[in-house]
Amino acid sequence: MNPIFLFNLASRQLQHLATRQAVISGNVANANTPGYQARDVTPFRDVLNKTALSMAATHAGHLELDGPAARPARATASDGWDVVHSGNSVNIEEQLMKAGEVSRDQALNSGVVKSFNRMLALSVKSGQ
Amino acid sequence: MIDPLAASSRIAGAGMGAQSERMRVISENIANAQSTGQTAGSDPYIRKTITFRTALDRASGTAAVAVREMGEDKAPFKVEYDPGNPAADQNGNVKLPNVNMLIEMADMREANRSYEANLQMIKQTRSMVASIIELLRP
Repeated sequence: MNPIFLFNLASRQLQHLATRQAVISGNVANANTPGYQARDVTPFRDVLNKTALSMAATHAGHLELDGPAARPARATASDGWDVVHSGNSVNIEEQLMKAGEVSRDQALNSGVVKSFNRMLALSVKSGQ
Repeated sequence: MIDPLAASSRIAGAGMGAQSERMRVISENIANAQSTGQTAGSDPYIRKTITFRTALDRASGTAAVAVREMGEDKAPFKVEYDPGNPAADQNGNVKLPNVNMLIEMADMREANRSYEANLQMIKQTRSMVASIIELLRP
């Protein structure tokens, strides 16, 4: 039987979204700091592409590779919409749009997890 | 490292603190827009300025914000001819503060907008946490 990866995947995306939310909060808090450059994390798609599936350890001597352990998403200086005279590249509208994106993705994620959980519970219940 | 969502609320809180400090400076400036000196020919109230800097939030490793310094505006004072004023010098000129109401109002709007943006981040983070807790509900 194939193991179910969905919960692992969902929790990794949740972790990514939480990190992104923290970075966006930092940008908004520094909206009036001279010389501050707006930052963002690498998109989840890229993070996911870089991680390979881990091999199953069927023998005690097998070494465990660095599998889908959650790597912390890095914050990089992103190209903001505009840079004001003080060298600050935070645009509040842009940041709030990004925060909306995060919120939407998170709602989708928890919705999927919830319905999947319900399916599992249903199958367990009907097996009795 | 603490939970990024908790860090997010904390950073936004730091942002709100910084903006309310800025609001305080602006109201000081507006309140003292007509404050002349105490003795004849003395300098009036000097407009105060505030600047922010990025502060590293050590618990989470992300960028919070703090007040860097309170400065004084170096713009020249307005001079008005008003011999009856107690602060007038021997020529009858009174120095008035270098506070420009239009600039203060624009500053106030900006501080208000930034404060609301930070508040919005806190609200959103809270709803994210709530939706995760919701998963535990049967």
